[in-house]
Amino acid sequence: MRESHSLRLFNKPKLESSALVVAWNQDVGKVGSIAVDYLNRKLESREFAEIEPEGFFPLGGVSVEDDVARFPQSKFYWCPEKSLVIFKSDIPRYEWYEFLNLVLDVAEKYCKVKEVYAVGGMVSAAAHTVPRMLLSVVNSTEMKRMLSHHELVSDMDYETQDDQRPTFSSFLIWAAKRRNIAGASLWVTIPFYLVAVEDQQSCKKLIEFFDRRLGLNVDFVDMDEEIAKQNKEIAQLRSKFPELDAYISKLEGNLSLTVEESEKLVREIEQLLKNRHLG
Amino acid sequence: MGVRFYKEPKLNNPILVACWPGIGNIGVIAVDILRRAMAAEEFGEIESWEFFYPRRVLIRNGELKDLEFPSNKFYFKKTGKRDVLFFIGEEQPADGAKVYAEGAKAYRMANLVIDVALKFGCRRVYTSGAAVAPIHHTARSRVWVVPNSEDLIGELKSYENTILMSDIEGRDGQGNITGLNGLLLGVAGKRGLEAICVMGEVPIYIHGFPIPYPKGSKSVLEVLSTALGIEVPMDEINALVQQSESEIDSVYERLPAEIKEQLDKLKYVTYAKPSEPEPITEEDKKRILQEIDRLFKKEPGGD
Repeated sequence: MRESHSLRLFNKPKLESSALVVAWNQDVGKVGSIAVDYLNRKLESREFAEIEPEGFFPLGGVSVEDDVARFPQSKFYWCPEKSLVIFKSDIPRYEWYEFLNLVLDVAEKYCKVKEVYAVGGMVSAAAHTVPRMLLSVVNSTEMKRMLSHHELVSDMDYETQDDQRPTFSSFLIWAAKRRNIAGASLWVTIPFYLVAVEDQQSCKKLIEFFDRRLGLNVDFVDMDEEIAKQNKEIAQLRSKFPELDAYISKLEGNLSLTVEESEKLVREIEQLLKNRHLG
Repeated sequence: MGVRFYKEPKLNNPILVACWPGIGNIGVIAVDILRRAMAAEEFGEIESWEFFYPRRVLIRNGELKDLEFPSNKFYFKKTGKRDVLFFIGEEQPADGAKVYAEGAKAYRMANLVIDVALKFGCRRVYTSGAAVAPIHHTARSRVWVVPNSEDLIGELKSYENTILMSDIEGRDGQGNITGLNGLLLGVAGKRGLEAICVMGEVPIYIHGFPIPYPKGSKSVLEVLSTALGIEVPMDEINALVQQSESEIDSVYERLPAEIKEQLDKLKYVTYAKPSEPEPITEEDKKRILQEIDRLFKKEPGGD
C-alpha cells in the first residue's frame, strides 16, 4: 500500500454513509464520464483528492485526443449534502489491483462508502426512439436485492470470450466484494449511431437511476432540452433523407441493417450532430 | 498479500521445480508432464490479482460470480526419498506489452516462490526454459544448464545431453536467461539456495513463432527425471514431439528450395565445436526468418 506516495488529499470529506460512483474516461460513448460531469456540475461537488499517475500510467509523453494533449487524471469529488462521492479517472495501464485498492481505501477511510457503482455505456442495435435500458451486474446477492426496486435489466449471463478481457469495472466490483462493499456495474445502452456524438438520453438514464437511488433531486431541465434538440435534428434528417429514415425505421421494427447501411447511418448522423456542435 | 495454502504438508528435504511460460513453452510442457506423471498434489497458489489483469469474468443472472486470473500454483509429491515441490506459473507478470517479467513485480513474485521453498525446507531449485540455438528441427535438442554456483558444475556435467555456456563456441561462458526462469536463479542464490536452470534447445528459425516445441521439452524432461531420480513415462511427450515435427515438416516442405538448402546446413552444424560446413550467415538468417514468417502467417489458425 503506497497511499501517502500516490494519493494527494486536499480535504477530508465529512460523510457518514455514502455511495461511490466511478466513471472511466475510456468508456463507450463517454456516457459514464458525461453523466458524472453533469452530477458534479448540478450538485456542486468539490474535488478533494487525486491519485498521482506515476506507477499506474506510462509517462513517456502525452497522448493527443481530438487535437488536445491529454494527461491521465484520477480525481475524487464529494457532494456534502448528498452523501455522494464521485471518482472520475483514466483506466490505469499498470498495477491495476493496487490502483483499485487505493480508490477503495479512499472510499472507505475518508468517505465511509457503503455502495460502489461503476458506470459505462453498451452499444445497442436499437433505434434512438427506443427507450434506453440500464443493465446491472452486482457483486453480491444482497446488492441484487437492494437494487430490485429499480428498473434494471439484472439477469445477464456472460462469460469472457477468448479474444477479450474483463472490463475494469468488473475488476472494481470484484475488489469491492473482497472488502465486503456492495457493488454494481451499470451499463446503459447507446444506439450504435450515437456512440460518437454524446447521447444525452443514455446519460440521463444513468443519472435518473442515481437520482432515485440516492435521493439527489437532480434538475434535468437543460439535459431535457438537449435531448429534445437532438431528437428534433434526427427527425429533420429523416424527413430530408428517406434512405436514412428507412434504415432507422428498420431498426424500430427490430430488423437489422447491413454493414453498409449501418456505416452510412453512423456517418450521416455523426456529420449532422458534430456540425451542430461546431456551429 | 502473497501465497494461499490449502494444506501444509510435512516434506522431507524437498527439491523445488519451478517454471513459467517462455519460448516454445519448453519448460512448462516438461514440468507439467513431470508433475502429472508423479501425481503431485496442488496445495497452494500465489494470489495472482496482485500481479495480473483478470482474463475471464463469469456473470450469472446478473451477478459477478468469478473473476479468473492467470494461475500460479504450487504442488507437492512425497516420494519416500527427497520430496518434490512444483511451482507452475501460467503467465509471467509483465507490464504493458512486455512478454517476460522484469522489474519490481517480477522480483516480488520470485521472492514469493522462494519464500515457499524455504518454508518447506528446500535447499535446491530447478527452473526451466528455452535456449535458442542454430540447430535443425530434426536434431535432438540438447540442454543448456546454468547453475547459480560453481560447486554444481561437476554434477551438471555428469548428466547426459547437457552443455554449459562455456561449451558453446563464441560465448566464453557468458549469456542471459530472460524472465523469471532466469531471475529465480539469482533470487535463490541471494537467499542461500542452490539453483539450476535447464534449457531445451529450440531451432533459431522456429523460436520467434508462438508454437510449442516439445522436442526441447523432451530433452529437459530427460534431464529433470535423471536429476530427481524419477522414471517418467515418455509416451505423452513422444506423441507431442511426433505431432509437432510433422507440422513443422509440412511448413518446411513448402519453403523455397533456396531457403531449405540454407536451413539444411544446420543438420550438419555442431556449433559447440568448429563447424563444417559453414553455418548460415546473419544475412541468410534474416531472409530465412522472413520467409518462414510469411509461411506461418499463411497457416490457418497459426497463432
